[in-house]
Amino acid sequence: MTNGLALAVRGLRKRYGSVTALDGLDLSVPNGVVYGFLGPNGAGKTTTMRLLTGLIRPDAGTIELLGAPFRSRDRRRLFDVGALIETPSFYPYLSGRENLRALAAVGAPIAPGRIDALLELVGLAGRAGDAVSTYSLGMKQRLGIAGALLSDPRLLLLDEPANGLDPAGIVAMRDTLKQLAASGKTVFVSSHILGEVRQLADVVGIIAAGRLVREAPIETLLADGGVVRVRLSPADLERARSILARLPQAVAADAPATAASEGDDDAWVSVPGGRERASEINRALAEAGIYASGIETDSSLESLFLELTGTSPAGNEGTFRGLGSSS
Amino acid sequence: MRLLLAGIRKLLFRPASWITLGVLAGLMGLIFVAVGSRADQLSNSPENAAALQLVTFPVAYDAVLSFVVGLGGLLAVIFGAAVAGSEWTWGTLKNAVARGESRTWYVVISFGSVVVLLAVGVVLAFAAGVIAAFIGASIAGVPTDGLTDRATLESLPATLLRGWFGIVEQGALGFAIATLARSQLAGIGAGIALYFGEQFSTLFLPDVVKYLPFHVAQAAVGLTARAFGGDGGGGQAVARLPSDVALLLVGTWLIGAVVVSALFTQRAEITG
Repeated sequence: MTNGLALAVRGLRKRYGSVTALDGLDLSVPNGVVYGFLGPNGAGKTTTMRLLTGLIRPDAGTIELLGAPFRSRDRRRLFDVGALIETPSFYPYLSGRENLRALAAVGAPIAPGRIDALLELVGLAGRAGDAVSTYSLGMKQRLGIAGALLSDPRLLLLDEPANGLDPAGIVAMRDTLKQLAASGKTVFVSSHILGEVRQLADVVGIIAAGRLVREAPIETLLADGGVVRVRLSPADLERARSILARLPQAVAADAPATAASEGDDDAWVSVPGGRERASEINRALAEAGIYASGIETDSSLESLFLELTGTSPAGNEGTFRGLGSSS
Repeated sequence: MRLLLAGIRKLLFRPASWITLGVLAGLMGLIFVAVGSRADQLSNSPENAAALQLVTFPVAYDAVLSFVVGLGGLLAVIFGAAVAGSEWTWGTLKNAVARGESRTWYVVISFGSVVVLLAVGVVLAFAAGVIAAFIGASIAGVPTDGLTDRATLESLPATLLRGWFGIVEQGALGFAIATLARSQLAGIGAGIALYFGEQFSTLFLPDVVKYLPFHVAQAAVGLTARAFGGDGGGGQAVARLPSDVALLLVGTWLIGAVVVSALFTQRAEITG
């Protein structure tokens, strides 16, 4: 069923009391890729990471790690997995090197010299003897990545690994993760930083409200995705929305067909779709006697993400709305 | 073995390990030296005779040991709670589990490293106490011939072993409480509250208290009530259990606390 997959998740469900964190999540992560796991805050990314590492138990669903079923009691399956989950966690009074030594004492044994090599890799060799309590957030993050790589894992699970890294650190991390994937390892990276995922990932899965809403190679997503934004008179807004809502859609079933916003002079209607839909939309509006004063297309990952996850800044519950839309 | 060695190494590097020992040794030093210094001002009074017992060997050995088990027990609760609670508070338990380590094994071995450190701590604290008592005796002008009392020295290893066992049991209670609380601070707070709660409950439940963990730990050592600090300051005399029975109960409390810690960790959802 899951040949060629480093990670396969089927129907994963998890509730915390009355809150549903995961609602039937499916994931298919091929071997040897960087997989970008995208989702807004609270979508279920960290819950997924915790389930994948046996920290919590699912209410339903199955997980296959590296081609074999994984349940929380199959802890030895994690010997081939490296993980950085949420914020990096260390003994603050120990040095970076001592923390890695302590970490190496649990789980799979590590190769001699591995700790020094990793400290060098993440650029902490010069501060390896200092207490972690004196580290910046970015340094702790780098040490966390070194900890995840300790056992030379075949599957790497990284939760928001770019947190706290400076631009040079982000570039170095990106290069390292790409090299790891090129060497046959699988890298699963959760993030809400779209630009980072776009530059890093070969395959992207987008999660919203605990469910996978899209999973595809990054090129496919960028080719398929996008938004056409139509500027028109506020007087035509409602009629335009009803016309555009009737167009054949190539969007996710649970995504809104159109979204509209109204300013003082102009109204905007957004329709999910690529650049090729612009003329179709223009024609449909013109045939109804509505003439657009402008049409813009946007094929960024951001637009697709916002459309698929329903987190448009226009004001969804639970979304940071920004100063401009607080009224 | 690598897990145990790593655990011991972590605790040796941990400032709290040495601060705890320093507090115990420092307080003992202060008290014994103070007793020695005040001896001449209290001359010919009954209080003076009682106080001088503290620095008169071989009784001073009992006083030191009673202090180590009494106040040391409270510090062991705090230390055990700090070690277990920090695994949750700092998120380092999460790292171990995510690396495929057995939760039960991790908890048991983590406690094992506490047991080793407590053994080192008991020996060092006892040595510091004896030195302090000797200094106090010298200041007070009390003869120190009893320092080499053969009968006392022969029984000392067994008494120290029982004291260490009692300390370990009290450390296990702190460890279990902090595990259940999933927090270093909450564990320490609850451990201290339990310790003093048990002491205060001697006022209301004298027949029950003798079976409770802190009292059995002291009873297991088999010290006489003449020693300082042995009753934990509860205020009301509590009939102590025979030391062998108390030792058995210490073992029961100890195993129970470790089992509770392991079972809880095994079943817990680690979300922090």
